[in-house]
Amino acid sequence: MDDLKLPYWLGGLVLALAGTALVRDAYIASVVNLIAIGALTAVSLRFVMLMGELNFATAAFVGIGAYTAGATLTILGWPFPLALLAGGIGAGLVSIVFGYVTLRTKGPYFLLIGFAFTEAVRILYSKSATLGGTSGMIGIFPPVALDGWMPTFIVAVSALLILGLYALERSDFGKILTAIRDNENVARTVGLDILLIKIACFATASFAAGIAGSLHAFANNVISPGDFSFLVAAFALAYVKVGGEDSIVGPLVGTVLLVVLGSYALGLGGGEHIFYGAAIMLAVLLLPRGVTGLAGGKRPQAGGGH
Amino acid sequence: MPPDTEPVLLRTKGLTRRFGGLLAVSDLDFEIRPREILGLIGPNGAGKSTTFNLISGFYKPSAGELHVFGENCTGRSSLAISRLGLVRTFQHGSLMRSMTVADNILLGTIHGVKGGARRRERVAQTAAMLGLSPYLSEEAGNLPHGLQRLVSIGIAFAARPKLLCLDEPLTGLNQTEVASTLTVLERIRDEFACSVLLVEHNMKAVMRVCDRIVVLHHGQHLATGTPAEIRADRRVIEAYLGHRHEH
Amino acid sequence: MQTAIQLTLTSLQIGAVYILFSLGLTLIFGVMRIVNFAHGHLFAVSALVVAAAVPWLASSGLPVLPAYLLAALAGIAAAMALGLLMYLAGFRFFQRDMVGSFILSIGLVLLLDGMLLKLFGGAVRPVPEIFPGTISILGAAITIQRFALCIAAILITAMLYVALTRTKLGKALRAFSIDHEAAMLQGIPYNRMALAGFMIASGLAALAGALIAPVTIVSPVIGADYLIKGFIAVIVGGLGSVPGAILGGLFVAAIETFGSFYFDPSSATVAIFFLVIAVLLVRPKGLLGHG
Repeated sequence: MDDLKLPYWLGGLVLALAGTALVRDAYIASVVNLIAIGALTAVSLRFVMLMGELNFATAAFVGIGAYTAGATLTILGWPFPLALLAGGIGAGLVSIVFGYVTLRTKGPYFLLIGFAFTEAVRILYSKSATLGGTSGMIGIFPPVALDGWMPTFIVAVSALLILGLYALERSDFGKILTAIRDNENVARTVGLDILLIKIACFATASFAAGIAGSLHAFANNVISPGDFSFLVAAFALAYVKVGGEDSIVGPLVGTVLLVVLGSYALGLGGGEHIFYGAAIMLAVLLLPRGVTGLAGGKRPQAGGGH
Repeated sequence: MPPDTEPVLLRTKGLTRRFGGLLAVSDLDFEIRPREILGLIGPNGAGKSTTFNLISGFYKPSAGELHVFGENCTGRSSLAISRLGLVRTFQHGSLMRSMTVADNILLGTIHGVKGGARRRERVAQTAAMLGLSPYLSEEAGNLPHGLQRLVSIGIAFAARPKLLCLDEPLTGLNQTEVASTLTVLERIRDEFACSVLLVEHNMKAVMRVCDRIVVLHHGQHLATGTPAEIRADRRVIEAYLGHRHEH
Repeated sequence: MQTAIQLTLTSLQIGAVYILFSLGLTLIFGVMRIVNFAHGHLFAVSALVVAAAVPWLASSGLPVLPAYLLAALAGIAAAMALGLLMYLAGFRFFQRDMVGSFILSIGLVLLLDGMLLKLFGGAVRPVPEIFPGTISILGAAITIQRFALCIAAILITAMLYVALTRTKLGKALRAFSIDHEAAMLQGIPYNRMALAGFMIASGLAALAGALIAPVTIVSPVIGADYLIKGFIAVIVGGLGSVPGAILGGLFVAAIETFGSFYFDPSSATVAIFFLVIAVLLVRPKGLLGHG
């Protein structure tokens, strides 16, 4: 595995966690949670972009994760750690089935079927009385011990998964994904099972999205179908695009930037959508490489050095 | 020449492929033997590409049989055939332009070699053999055309196939590059006991490097033989309308 | 039998709007290879302008029908102006860049959502009846308004079909749809084609919006539902294929109508989704696609 610059990441993580431990204000805590969960979702989306596909079903898997976590906790009575994990596993399992069918298609078809899936799953939540129907599920509480420590916990879990996805990206598996994006036919000729690899990539990203959903459920204690519309994926895409899709840092920068600025915009009187919309359009038109692209200059080589 | 007791690597029997009303390849019988470089030639439209796609599993035959390494592979997927040890290149852009040369070649090692260190060792070996060692950290898309062609061969060869199928690898290469590529092919045959199937238009190169040549015309088998035999074959000469051997 | 006829009629009438939508989407994809999520907003703008203008014009003393026609003209003009702006300021720079154009369209969706809400407010606006009364076809009842909508949609689709197959522009557009490189090699001016395709598609959405305003409840979010169904229709039919768009539109409308009747609307939507997956399993590029 190429040099991950682990010391820098761990150092940054320790700083971030220390920062969250200082948070006392409930509003700031919720913003921190939003950033961490949003960043995880954005990184999950970007992971699938490595293989050249735009995964608009991300929102669906965040929702599946949230509902699985909520259901296993409130209905099945599972302990907190298991419920949290169940969100990721549930999303992962569904994604394997979904991916097996849909990853045979590409580009706009894959994109639009992901969009349709998001809406269909939302309808299924609304129709299910067990899951709370249109009003949603309530009472998804983390253990009392974590009271006051939620931002730290959420940032820690998100960071762990982001680091994991980063390690995968830098590994040989990540290179296969880049190869598939660049020239799928060549990858096909050297004995690689392309569909299997795509499903593995997709399932891994969906597991992460599912955990993001679990975290969302525990952070907000209440979830409803309206939380998981295609806008979740749209925002995640905005975070990636504005931050820059060429490196793992891009989505992180994009999430922080847009969430923080968005919170200010909310204060400007309900213009949140206008703000986000304008930000995305400007970023796409003026900063094709995103904010990190400005700093980085040439696109970093997918291979790194040896 | 390999002893006659060794089994052939690839054999087709009555191989046929139709596209709607068009009979692209019809009733083709040929074989590829161990440790040989076999040339597949023919005028444009002779069915070379179709044959190439048929034997590598990218097309399914409409009729006939394909046997690869002793196994009946008729109708098998390209994945299955590549895993048996038949690796092919593509005519255009058979490489990942956005990745480094090292990572390109690495892709060929992933299925067959486990472990990062051993993969990188094979990458180094493959690169050394192709003269690509100085370019390992370069982005493949930035390299001149000749080197890119070598990278494509490198990716395929890194998988250490038993049969390497190259689709017009010499297109756009100058004389020096052609000569060095042919030397590489001979080394692949001799040092790695790997046969090479070469679809090519460059007649001079084909005559120089191939042990045997199969000639196609209008989708059918026209002639098989050594370069000397093919050069002298009237039917081949007529098919090419007096085609001269320079390129 | 009676029910079947009624349901079929309803399907056709709903399908008419979906077809106008999906024709636009498939046209844009065919010529520019992009996916425009903001397409629904052109539809919404047209419908909103009509819904706002008709009561106002009618109250100024104009009889309903001329008021409607005037309002429709205004709505279509407004929507097409917006479409032109979208193209010039944005999509023209992202041709054949599916990801970039898609993200741009997402930004547009958010922006326009917010702006339409501010401009028109969240309240729904009913439009007064233009053609009162119902007629009976083969024993099934349909309001004259909806019938007129159906006829209009069929006429427009037919005209479009003829335009695409008989006129020089139409043939050029189709050439692009099938093979970009070949069309460019033929010397067909690409930018003009892209603009033409985009504006025709915008016009279709605008027409659909003006037609739908009298028969439905118009709100700023009216585009979303039609957009989803429109995209599903296009996936099923195959991106870039005009017959595919028509087929897909009818398919979605049929399932929605029959499904809503025998089960309920949301089940129908879920059913549509699973059927689309089934189609993609067998034909990953849609029934007639060549994207």
